[in-house]
Amino acid sequence: MLEIIQLSKRYGKTLAADSVSFQVPDGRVGILLGPNGAGKSTVIKSIAGLLKFEGAIRIQGMDSKTLEAKKAFAYVPEIPNMYEALTVREHMEFIKRAYGLQTDDRDVDSLLERFELLDKQDKLGNELSKGMMQKVSICCALLISPRVILLDEPMVGLDPAAIKELKQAVGELRNSGCTVLISTHMLEMVKELWDVTFVMDKGHILGTYSREEVGDEDLEELFFQVTGTGKEDREED
Amino acid sequence: MGAIAYLYRRIFANRVKVALRKPVTYFYIVFILLYAVMIPFSINVLLEKYRMNSPEGMAAVLTAFAFWVIPGNLVAYAKRKGLIYRKSDIHFLFVSPISPKKILLYAHIRNLLIQTVLNMVIAILGGILFHVEWWRVGIYFLFSIIVENLLEGGIMLLLYGTERLTQYGRSLVVKGAYALVGILFLIGIYTYITQGLSLQSIMGFLHSDMVQMVPVVGWYIAVLHLIFVGPTAVNLAGTAAYALLLILVMTLALRMRCTGAYYEDAIKFADDYEEILVNRREGRIDKRLGKKQKFKKADVKYKGSGTKAIFYRQLLEYRKNRYFIFDFNMGAALVAGAGIAYLCAVEEGMGDLTPFIIPGVTAYVIFIFTTLSGKWSKEISSPYTYLIPDTAFRKLWYATAMQHIQALVSGILITLPGAVVMRMSPLTAVLCVAFYVILNANKLYALAVAEAVTGNVLGRVGKQLFQLFIQGIVIGFAFLGALVGVLVGGLNLAYILMNVFLLLATLLFMLAAALNFYKMETA
Repeated sequence: MLEIIQLSKRYGKTLAADSVSFQVPDGRVGILLGPNGAGKSTVIKSIAGLLKFEGAIRIQGMDSKTLEAKKAFAYVPEIPNMYEALTVREHMEFIKRAYGLQTDDRDVDSLLERFELLDKQDKLGNELSKGMMQKVSICCALLISPRVILLDEPMVGLDPAAIKELKQAVGELRNSGCTVLISTHMLEMVKELWDVTFVMDKGHILGTYSREEVGDEDLEELFFQVTGTGKEDREED
Repeated sequence: MGAIAYLYRRIFANRVKVALRKPVTYFYIVFILLYAVMIPFSINVLLEKYRMNSPEGMAAVLTAFAFWVIPGNLVAYAKRKGLIYRKSDIHFLFVSPISPKKILLYAHIRNLLIQTVLNMVIAILGGILFHVEWWRVGIYFLFSIIVENLLEGGIMLLLYGTERLTQYGRSLVVKGAYALVGILFLIGIYTYITQGLSLQSIMGFLHSDMVQMVPVVGWYIAVLHLIFVGPTAVNLAGTAAYALLLILVMTLALRMRCTGAYYEDAIKFADDYEEILVNRREGRIDKRLGKKQKFKKADVKYKGSGTKAIFYRQLLEYRKNRYFIFDFNMGAALVAGAGIAYLCAVEEGMGDLTPFIIPGVTAYVIFIFTTLSGKWSKEISSPYTYLIPDTAFRKLWYATAMQHIQALVSGILITLPGAVVMRMSPLTAVLCVAFYVILNANKLYALAVAEAVTGNVLGRVGKQLFQLFIQGIVIGFAFLGALVGVLVGGLNLAYILMNVFLLLATLLFMLAAALNFYKMETA
């Protein structure tokens, strides 16, 4: 379970997140929505432990800053940054050591094969395209077998086969009881995945909607209704 | 440290593997070896001249280094700016279950290899040039690698990693570091007042007991004196204080709570650092680490169409700049100009060579120091430049026109003071300014030629060396032209021949450089 409790973050005089609270239970996929500048990145970076903040973040009931919580947590950032002098496989090996994983080479092989990286496993970080970096980043996150996973715009730069594979992987994670939080603007890509959606704007959570509540209502429509954006476009259509 | 040790090991091994595949690596190795042999010889001459080739001399040199290195490190750590993390560290290390203290040590220890090599060189130089006994040199090496690193690492952990120190507390540490420098400065002033300014008084200052009593910096200097000069009451006391400080710092650092609150500051610094790296790769050195560039509001009226748009866009960017088109190169030109004027006024010039002082200094400044940090390097890497429907030559001209205007201002600044003092004729002065502008353009286009010829074979530094090589040849021929001119028709003919030759070579380079603007691939 991922719990965000009264999270506030200031950059100088700007309040980027104002008492943000929400939670994603085990085995559920949460979607964080919001226009540019809504404060999503601040919330995501705070969950990943990259920012100082007020309030609390709990991963499986543990303070997110503890090493135990970090062991249960995986993060796929919006822009992947590889070690220039590490090969694809060495990135995976590093993750194995950093998280103390007991996985063997076959687990690494199967992930690389799943995301069509097996033939690229000896390529260095600075030889990869952005899409390939994103795949490596996803593979590293999946290798951890996390209890909570945070994906920030994970589909940007991926080819259709990788998007399909990622969607399937997210489904499998959910079925295994993992908590998933995805921040994305590509609503079409997550329409069959989401269980709960949090709409954010101007540093606040404007609304929380579960699939049970809203039924088959389109996520895009929901987003426009809550944020009041895109109204003119829809009227013109 | 399993994961971190793995990271070091693999990055190092892969870097070595990649480097060994590049021919330029072997060129650099020869270059470094040559320097490694040449520098000790030249230093030895200096040391003998100033009678510093003794263990006391070694202690004095290292003391002088300590004056600025230790306070500098304290300030950097207190401001959370001394450690370099890359974006990949943020992605993989910061979110991992590796202790934030270990992640701090990871960045600190990354420099250990370079430090070990440097300290080994210092130790060897100590034995050979300063005639320090080898057992003392060995102790210094072990001290610098083990004890010094432990203390610095501990201080770094305390200042960078602490979550109890407020912003105000940090500013106090910074002020404290400056205060240490201030105390050392005051001791220096006292020495100057009591003993005057001489080599002897400077050495007296560097070896003084007062310096060794200054907290932290002085205690380190006391250890150096104990190692190289032998025990005295003061350096023994200073060494004891250093040992106590080490124990205190290590204890506090080990017990300190650190959950990674420093990550946010480290990320900001990493972003800045990566931006600087990208800028340097493109040949722009105007951006400074940790300084966010501020822009004024400005506008510009675009005249004409096609590639002229590049020129007006650059003009708009410069108008938004705090100092408009004025930059470091112009400052250097003004200082050089003032220096030339002083040389001519006070030292009465350089005999027959006096009329050629300005072009001589100009050639030296442009050849060695001038950086091509203008906007043009950005244009050549921008896809928009290639999409503008215009000829490659016009693109090159308008992308570099502003740089020629800057060169004109620099040329006037370097020429005018000396020309006034020398009572140079207006025609000669104009030819002098023209020499600066043409030579600057020559350097600009020589770099483009180097890019076209060497491609990616020699790397960035290799390209610059090739550029220096071809430009060196051109300058050599230009001065040969000047010599012929002086012999045949006098000063102005010499200047004209020099400029004409340079102009022809520059036009040739320009044509070659224009080829780079046909398609981005060749850039």
